[in-house]
Amino acid sequence: MSHSYDDRAGELREFFFDTAQELLQQLSDEGLKLEKQPGDAETVRSIRRIVHTLKGDAAACGCRELSELAHEFEDVLAGEGFSAGTSLAEAVFTATDVFAALLKAYRRKSKLPSVEPLRKLVQALAREQKSLPPKRARKKAKTSLPATWSEYEKLAMQQAAQQGRNVYHFTVRLDPHCAMPIAGRQLVLNAMAPLGEVLGTRPETGSTDAARKMEVLFASDQPVGQLATRFHIPTITSEVQQELLLEAAKPSRKEPAKAVETPAMEPLEASAPAVPVPSENILRVDAERIDNVLNLVGELIIGKSMLQQAMNEFSRRFPKDPARARFADAMAFQSRVLSDLQRSVMKVRMVPVEQLFRRFPRLVRDVAKHCDKQVELTLSGQDTDLDKSLLDAITEPLTHLVRNAVSHGIESAAEREKAGKPAHGTIHLKAYHQGNQVVVEVSDDGHGVDVRKVRERALQNQLVSAEEASGMSEADLLSLVFRPGFSTAEEITEISGRGVGLDVVQSVLQRMKGSVELENHPGRGTTFRLKLPLTLAIIKALLFRVEHKLYAIPLNAVAEIARARQSDLHRVDHYEVLQLRDQVLPLIRLGRTAAEDHKIFVLVIHMGERKLGLIVDSLEGEEELVIKALDDQAVATDLISGASILGDGRVVLILHLPALVERFAKARPQEAGAMTSGLLLSHAERHSAGAIPAVGGQA
Amino acid sequence: MEQFAPVKRSKDGQPVRYLVVDDSVFARKNLARMIETFGGQLAGEAGDGMTAITEYERTRPDIVLMDITMPQMEGIEAAEKIVQQHPEARIVMVSSVGYQENIVAALQRGARHFVQKPVKPEVLYEVIKYVLGEEGSVANAAGAGV
Repeated sequence: MSHSYDDRAGELREFFFDTAQELLQQLSDEGLKLEKQPGDAETVRSIRRIVHTLKGDAAACGCRELSELAHEFEDVLAGEGFSAGTSLAEAVFTATDVFAALLKAYRRKSKLPSVEPLRKLVQALAREQKSLPPKRARKKAKTSLPATWSEYEKLAMQQAAQQGRNVYHFTVRLDPHCAMPIAGRQLVLNAMAPLGEVLGTRPETGSTDAARKMEVLFASDQPVGQLATRFHIPTITSEVQQELLLEAAKPSRKEPAKAVETPAMEPLEASAPAVPVPSENILRVDAERIDNVLNLVGELIIGKSMLQQAMNEFSRRFPKDPARARFADAMAFQSRVLSDLQRSVMKVRMVPVEQLFRRFPRLVRDVAKHCDKQVELTLSGQDTDLDKSLLDAITEPLTHLVRNAVSHGIESAAEREKAGKPAHGTIHLKAYHQGNQVVVEVSDDGHGVDVRKVRERALQNQLVSAEEASGMSEADLLSLVFRPGFSTAEEITEISGRGVGLDVVQSVLQRMKGSVELENHPGRGTTFRLKLPLTLAIIKALLFRVEHKLYAIPLNAVAEIARARQSDLHRVDHYEVLQLRDQVLPLIRLGRTAAEDHKIFVLVIHMGERKLGLIVDSLEGEEELVIKALDDQAVATDLISGASILGDGRVVLILHLPALVERFAKARPQEAGAMTSGLLLSHAERHSAGAIPAVGGQA
Repeated sequence: MEQFAPVKRSKDGQPVRYLVVDDSVFARKNLARMIETFGGQLAGEAGDGMTAITEYERTRPDIVLMDITMPQMEGIEAAEKIVQQHPEARIVMVSSVGYQENIVAALQRGARHFVQKPVKPEVLYEVIKYVLGEEGSVANAAGAGV
């Protein structure tokens, strides 16, 4: 078995694409810095370094066009005197975009995009530099004259000979593949230094002449024969000729010139296995594999609860059996390891939200420039961890919200000053954990949402009737912006358009079992709050029964559980409500209306600013549920977000609270009674429920 | 598909130990892979000059592959500092053609050799053998020295 150079080429290539993305991100960051401080030498150096690294990596991966382009750009960056600093920043941004497009094409092995925009910019920059007085002459004229030694050097030769050393004349030809002759010559001098004294060289030491032939006057007391071979340096020299000029303290005698040819490199026999090298600490793993592991952990958790149930039964039957305690210990241990395992696997999937945030400074800059606004972006909580798949899923919605904030949220500088605000607006991106959720906020300090305009628009687009609108609270009106059909085609601009409306944002979030909220401060700005579950796979849930069927909701959504009788409920505007301490709680009835003296439970749930009560028949307890996704065909309603299997094999449906609440909010008041009672009943059941005289006589 | 006869340390027949210094993770990985094909062993990695010095102290490698342009401390300075402390250090500068002057400077300050980016494995292999000199030997029998 032998380790070959190409074994992992594909993997390495992928790795290159990843690191290149990172480099481009850095490039874009530096570009922003440069724009703020045009001409900052440190930033320019840093940009040059990044471009340089990219160039090298690209070349090693065979991405020739990218490497060449980066090389041209790097050359320009190496120069000095950028009269217009902003144009350089512009070039950096263009470079980032062009490089990114190239990388994408390499990765997909598709046709390479045009690189002309960048090339033109680079050339323009180069011209700009040339118009300035050159700092120093680039290259001297090539000289390859036979060496003529100066008087001083001749004197040194005489002295060396008198001191008993031989004086040699070496003619060294550099390997044509050696692209760095100056460095090559230096290396030859380095090789000579331990064996004697260099009296003079042509080209002279320190010369930037690119000559491939080098002549050296060398004094040494070493035996004649060995020197030339010792000065042969693989990959650098192709030929070393040695000539004795002066023999030590003896009359001068010419030694026949001796040529040492570079031996042709023989293909070396490689039969020995290479030693395995522990190289990388970072693994690239297909997300699917991790999902698989997580899935298995889920199955284990189901197994755990099966075991727990069997154990409970065993305890009931043999309460005195000594094996009971041993079982219990083993189970406690197993469950501890299991939860560690679960946590570890989850952690594997977690990535800091910074990965997403860091793309926004550039985006905000571009959009602000396009809209001719002054906007500053601040970030916080970048190190908050989030499931990678969630992160990917919210990329698009979040981008949309940020774009919106710049193009619609923030006012023009003039307007802002009129309103007594600083000329440049601020957009703040923030991420944090809250209970079992991750919250990502986009806030701006713009003019906020005008609720009257929302109403007008909603009426115009016939989302609500005038009558309904008049009865809606401010929060209800605001929530209309998330309704499909709210945003009109007229405002689809290049920037914030792209056909994505807030309704899409909401539907993405709901698909992720999350929610989006809008907090509005008229005149002072808006905050969009995206709430996401920490993970999609496993939740702590509260189990309850409605109409003898088992359901669950995430435990963290439950604020409290109240007990009541049917007779405690009241009806206000077709809504059922419960007076809970000093608050009136709107209720959502999931099942049938019960008899007057029937005891019921009300689960008080928090949905953003809202508090609602869910009427359920009985509670079943709390449990860790492994969510099994249901495909769209299996469930016709969006009220169910998934299902889970309990230890005893029973199936429990998990309610999707945001959808439930939304359904409740959307319900038109005159239908509210019918809509909100028996949300979980089948059509037939609801029909028969209508036959039962309900309180208030709604059918 | 290049294959190389493993280069081992003459004194004990053990794999040659390398310290790879480059701010590009990719470049490091690329070099590490070549080293592997030479039968060498990656003793440590560093992404900047400062770390290179501490890693040298910690790992005492047989060979250092050192990039020129890096954040914090550039390769030349790092090479110079290492050679000052350890004159026996074998440092090979790795850089592109544009940085020739820096390479010359590094060579003047004690670096032993240089290779040009993009690094060709067959070139690096020759350079390594040269830099090791008497200290390295090419194994030609399977499993020699292991």
